[in-house]
Amino acid sequence: MEAEAIRALLAGAFPDAAEVDVVDRTGGGDHFQVTVTSPAFDGLSLIDQHRLVNDALAEPLRDGSIHELRIKTKGTA
Amino acid sequence: MKTLHEQITDVIAEEPVALFMKGTPQMVMCGNSLRALQALHGAGAPITTVDILPDPRIRQELSAISGWPTIPQVFVKGELIGGADITEELYASGELQAKLDEALGSEHSQEVKVVTLELG
Repeated sequence: MEAEAIRALLAGAFPDAAEVDVVDRTGGGDHFQVTVTSPAFDGLSLIDQHRLVNDALAEPLRDGSIHELRIKTKGTA
Repeated sequence: MKTLHEQITDVIAEEPVALFMKGTPQMVMCGNSLRALQALHGAGAPITTVDILPDPRIRQELSAISGWPTIPQVFVKGELIGGADITEELYASGELQAKLDEALGSEHSQEVKVVTLELG
């Protein structure tokens, strides 16, 4: 899976995001580090912030396209 | 024999800190599982680990119960804390230690143990 495809999923899920960054950590197309900064996270606990990211990437997580996912979320408040 | 579902919910409910991981503390099979283990260890947590690798049904049941898609998963007193990233972040900020003290008391043990699920 291309990092750009993940970026597009995240951009679609977080249209107000100030930052959506996806790094293919190994170059193999299945270990990703994603960073999202969005007002959607304001006031949410870390676990709820990460749940939103997991939800946005539910399909590639379920079908195994993403083997390993590292998440960094930030609110904008 | 209890079902896999019952065994997993028992571990979550009964163990002070449950870490569902790939491998065991003696032989960690995944970088993220290692990160979660190290953060918990650094925070002085008692840790009960469950290896999800022996059977794919373990991971399926666990994710169905927790609503969390990835491994590792950390529970404190039955509550899902998150995966490796959140556990590391909470450890770095000191919130993990505070949460453990609050949930388990400041004199809690730091015992590490491994639970092996019975597969039918």
